[in-house]
Amino acid sequence: MELVMKNIPELIIPASSSTTTTTADEDNNWDDWSSDINWYQVSGDFPSDLPSFILPTAISSYPAGEAEPLAGADAIHDWSYPSTTTNSHATTPTTEGPTRNELYNINEPTSASLRLIHLLIAAAEAISGDQKSPHLARVILVRLREIIPTDHAAASGIERLASHFTEALLALLDNPHQPHQHATTAATTGEVLIAFKLLHDMSPCVSFGHLTANQAILEAVAGERRVHILDYDIGEGVQWASLIQALISKGSPAAPHLRITALTNGIKGSASGAQEVGRRLSAFAASVGQPFSFRICRLDHSKRFTPAAIKVVKGEALVVNCVLQPAQLSSAASLTSFLTGAVALSPRILTIIEEESTPSFARAERGFVGEFMDEVERYMAIWESLETGFPMQGRVREMVERVILRPRIAAAVARAYGRQDGGEVAAERCGEWMAAVGFERLELSSFNVCQAQLLLGLFNDGFCIDKDTPNKLALRWKSRRLLSASVWGLPPPPSPSASLLF
Amino acid sequence: MFSSKKPTMNSHERPPMCVQGDSGLVLTTDPKPRLRWTVELHDRFVDAVAQLGGPDKATPKTIMRVMGVKGLTLYHLKSHLQKFRLGKQPHKEFNDHSKDALEMQRNAASSSGIMSRTMNDRNVQITEALRMQKEVQRRLHEQLEVQKHLQMRIEAQGKYMQSILEKAYQTLAGEGAMTATGSYKDLQNQATMNLGAMAFPSLQDLHLFNNDQLEISPQLDRPLEDFFPSNETLCLGKKRPNPYSYSNGKSPLIWSDELKLQEFGSHEENLKNNIDHEHLQIAPSIINGGMEMESMADVYEAKPLMLSVDSNGEKYEGSSKVGRPSTPRRATVSTPERMSPMIRGGGLGQTRNLSYA
Repeated sequence: MELVMKNIPELIIPASSSTTTTTADEDNNWDDWSSDINWYQVSGDFPSDLPSFILPTAISSYPAGEAEPLAGADAIHDWSYPSTTTNSHATTPTTEGPTRNELYNINEPTSASLRLIHLLIAAAEAISGDQKSPHLARVILVRLREIIPTDHAAASGIERLASHFTEALLALLDNPHQPHQHATTAATTGEVLIAFKLLHDMSPCVSFGHLTANQAILEAVAGERRVHILDYDIGEGVQWASLIQALISKGSPAAPHLRITALTNGIKGSASGAQEVGRRLSAFAASVGQPFSFRICRLDHSKRFTPAAIKVVKGEALVVNCVLQPAQLSSAASLTSFLTGAVALSPRILTIIEEESTPSFARAERGFVGEFMDEVERYMAIWESLETGFPMQGRVREMVERVILRPRIAAAVARAYGRQDGGEVAAERCGEWMAAVGFERLELSSFNVCQAQLLLGLFNDGFCIDKDTPNKLALRWKSRRLLSASVWGLPPPPSPSASLLF
Repeated sequence: MFSSKKPTMNSHERPPMCVQGDSGLVLTTDPKPRLRWTVELHDRFVDAVAQLGGPDKATPKTIMRVMGVKGLTLYHLKSHLQKFRLGKQPHKEFNDHSKDALEMQRNAASSSGIMSRTMNDRNVQITEALRMQKEVQRRLHEQLEVQKHLQMRIEAQGKYMQSILEKAYQTLAGEGAMTATGSYKDLQNQATMNLGAMAFPSLQDLHLFNNDQLEISPQLDRPLEDFFPSNETLCLGKKRPNPYSYSNGKSPLIWSDELKLQEFGSHEENLKNNIDHEHLQIAPSIINGGMEMESMADVYEAKPLMLSVDSNGEKYEGSSKVGRPSTPRRATVSTPERMSPMIRGGGLGQTRNLSYA
């Protein structure tokens, strides 16, 4: 441990309350910085009810596939995880001693990297909770900013992750009510698209949901002449490319006419963006000979959805597709109105693709810090999955992280913050709520499950599929659930004479 | 030595219970008369025991009652029963041959029940094995179907993304400064090559998963090796060269952070330039199929990666370089020591690696 400290003199965070020792000059530096804050107390004294904070890789002794997170005590013991000098995932060759990258390599959490995370948690605690102390939070965050090199190309995985979260927290401090809308994304549209494609190639997170939902849709509308898809968040339209291909390749029965209606939520530019997506999809469909049409439906100014806004053609099978990405989720009320409206339209099938959080947490009790840590874990897992799959492509990963994941992080943190303020209960974990509204679970076919497994086979080994309810497949990286795709339908109306349940 | 036996003793229809004491017992002519357990007497004994539910359930008293043989005392029966219990196996087999049809008619008696069950078990096992093989075959076919469709869908996605990128590329060329476009070209080259590299070797690997993927019970290890005809039928090839605009589809390029910036042109040109590089290697991470890293460290020639399927869709051919990585694959695929059962739903990565151990 001493060796570690010598090599990074600028890292002057004191050790946690467990065993690491620090050299004398570091203590001096520490005091120089701010004498009135007792750093030992700040970073060393963590709440005893720290919910199980797992670094997905720290607990490498997990048997693969174990879904239970470790108890908090274990996580705390890992704080004094000694840094190792032999690092199989090192991005730089080692000559003597651990280089900076190694220390922060996400696959081998060192005490240095763990400390970054601890500081983040401390800042989150300071922002929220019983003793709110924005000043303290700001101090911590500024400190974090200083520690992490701003040139992201030189920083390591964990440093970049910590930097994104730091910025997200700072945005909360600066603008508590509308934090993520001002997130500075210097990325141009072109950059976003490139990064999106890279992410699509590097991780199954994008394809998994799309392919699973599409397969379920295909099975549900088999034999129909017209299919109408109502898409809550069309994104870049990638999902429908493979659906169009699948429809056209069905062979003997002629391909059904496909109509897509995309909802736009009124954010500036979203309508034109959706139009552009429509153009692309039309061009693509034309290139394969699939009859296709596209239109946009705007949510009203209060972001609510009314079924009447959708033009429904007789004899078409309606499908509703919801990709719930927290960054784009405008409000829970909007989503609720959408789903209730969807019931009114009686779709053949409704597919939901959403993010998953660690199941053991009871959502109501977590508070901001718990949710914040959940998000940190989630992105750690994503970071790790990218790094494990593509260890040599640091630049590419950095770009994807900055352009795509960073805004998501900011939005997730902002949402978590909004919730703890007594804001709306996020409806994005729809499962139980759906049953209440009247949807029933539809079973996923073995074809679908098989397809998902094969898809994962194209990517790194660490990905797995969970199927805990018959209508839902969850994508998991090691022990952390990332995404899930679930399928719902409406029960058939009981009999003509009985009253319709809506 | 047989005393007068009842005519019914060896017939199939044995009168159920009481055998009258007509059959005299055979006694030895020793000074001390000892009962001689003749074959017949023993058969009756066994029958009685069977009726009573087996040697463990039968007691001398009940046996005596059931047998109804005069002169048979409890002591005779006790010792005989004890011997019978100890030596049940040999006696059973003996009974087997002589009494087997009769035994079949008795139900619920343990020894005969065991006898008949054994024979039935064998039949059952055979049908069971056949059924399981059919099931495996069905799943194999389903997997092939899924693979085919998955491949087409992934290609469609890729094609769509490519069209998006081209537009983005144009906008970048319009807006950005030279350095910006330079670095974006760089990244885009990486992106397209990435997809090419991923699409092709990875999709080649799809056929490998046939063997690894199946959820088979461990009992079927051995039969399945015979059952899988050979690699060829499991292979999934593409029917035609890549129709999409990936010119990099011609070879699975590598990916390195140190790409030289290319002249701005169509990106087909860029990629052709890259193809000419000397130092191409496959980044191990791209090939998720578990191919040995060492075998992939060669320089790939710029040959089209054509996976062709012949008319009956069963042959797998690769281009020259591809033949090389396929070799380790064949070796491992055809001789899995054990068709690793699925570890969990989705644990296929682990099973795949097992076969490459």
